[in-house]
Amino acid sequence: MEKLSFELALKKLEESVEQLESGELELEESIKVFEQGIELSLFCRKELSQAEGKIQRLVKNLGGEFELLDFEV
Amino acid sequence: MKEILTVTELNSYIANLLDSDPFLGQLWLRGEISGFRLYQQSGHMYFTLKDEDSTISAVMFKSRARGLKFKPKDGMEVLLRASVSVFARQGKYQLYVEEMQPYGIGGLFLYLEELKKKLAAKGYFAPERKKAIPAFVQRVGIVTSQDGAALRDICRILKQRHPGVEVVLVHSSVQGSEAPGELAEGLRLLNSYGEVELIIIGRGGGSYEDLMAFNSELVVQAIYESNIPVISAVGHEVDFTLADLVADLRAATPSQAASLAVADMQALSRQLDNYQQRLLRAMQRKLLYYTEIIDRLMMKRIWKQPRSLLHMREELLSQLEKRLSRGMTETFREKKMRLSMNVAALDSLSPLKIMERGYVLLQKEGRIIRDEQQVQIGDRLEVAMRHADLEIEVIKKERVKRWKS
Repeated sequence: MEKLSFELALKKLEESVEQLESGELELEESIKVFEQGIELSLFCRKELSQAEGKIQRLVKNLGGEFELLDFEV
Repeated sequence: MKEILTVTELNSYIANLLDSDPFLGQLWLRGEISGFRLYQQSGHMYFTLKDEDSTISAVMFKSRARGLKFKPKDGMEVLLRASVSVFARQGKYQLYVEEMQPYGIGGLFLYLEELKKKLAAKGYFAPERKKAIPAFVQRVGIVTSQDGAALRDICRILKQRHPGVEVVLVHSSVQGSEAPGELAEGLRLLNSYGEVELIIIGRGGGSYEDLMAFNSELVVQAIYESNIPVISAVGHEVDFTLADLVADLRAATPSQAASLAVADMQALSRQLDNYQQRLLRAMQRKLLYYTEIIDRLMMKRIWKQPRSLLHMREELLSQLEKRLSRGMTETFREKKMRLSMNVAALDSLSPLKIMERGYVLLQKEGRIIRDEQQVQIGDRLEVAMRHADLEIEVIKKERVKRWKS
């Protein structure tokens, strides 16, 4: 699967669910859609849990470069 | 006091008294305008100047009012230079205003109105200029004071909704003379850093003056120029600043800004659960459906005794084979018989067979003669017999009736 945005993945997942629920698909097609749906849902879960949730302070140092300092609220 | 005065005499006495006082002849005064009236015909302005506890009438004549740089309004705090004198006809003292300028919040209000108009004319607040807030934000930039309650509120709500969210803070003072420049610089810093999807700029509640940095042209400009969508979060629900007008989205409070900034991950997670369950259920239903069809088919007797089916088929096949070969033999025999019959018939119809019985073939110049009309007396005709050809001459021609045809 190419690099997906979470947003797009969620939308595709929703479509897969609706497609499968419609019951209009042939068995083979159903399995394909089902597999794709599961893959998308796993992708979304991974995306959700990926970020570390840090809080950092952005400053420019003397050299004019960006620097991220850990920060406690 | 033995003299009896008229009212006019008293009023003019008091007027003299006031007019001769150097302090009252030239004073600076501050207060809030109320009951403002502009007389269209005369062009004079009348209003009451007040503070919390008392009021004084004021008049500004057209000649003075002409120089005003703003439109006085009720509720406006003003600073004015005036003298105090008596309006004899009503027996009251009042202010004669020489010049007047906005003061304090009234003045701020005026400044804001003018700035707002100017920026609106430049299209800063146009809805079509506003950027959409992305739906799933992972990195949020915040420009506010690192010591403020706003930052704590924002971070608390962000974490609550989306524990994985990353926050990139740029510290800035949020009030005082440094604030506008620092806030604007913070926005620019996050924009050049580039790795946040959204910026929240704001501060907690405070007095009107405290929030003034968010009305500054510097901040408004920086928000307007930001390539990253900006949510403003200044003060409380009731506070409205120019930053709010130019921001892509206005949050009533810093906490609300945090809610608007990131999706609720618990809700999203529930949604994902829901999708997964539905996928599984739909697939199970599908499989169950096919299983039932297969079961139903397998229930039929035929599947329970496959051998009998096979035997039946074999029997049928050999029967068909027998019929086929029998059919073939018979057809062959019949065809053969019909052929020999046809050959015999052909033989009996042969002209040679007929000639053997004494018949001849009469021809004239190669054409068969069937009718006496075809021949004349003296014609030479050819006669074909079984074993010879003759040439004859017609000597006599007579039509006879041999049989009724």
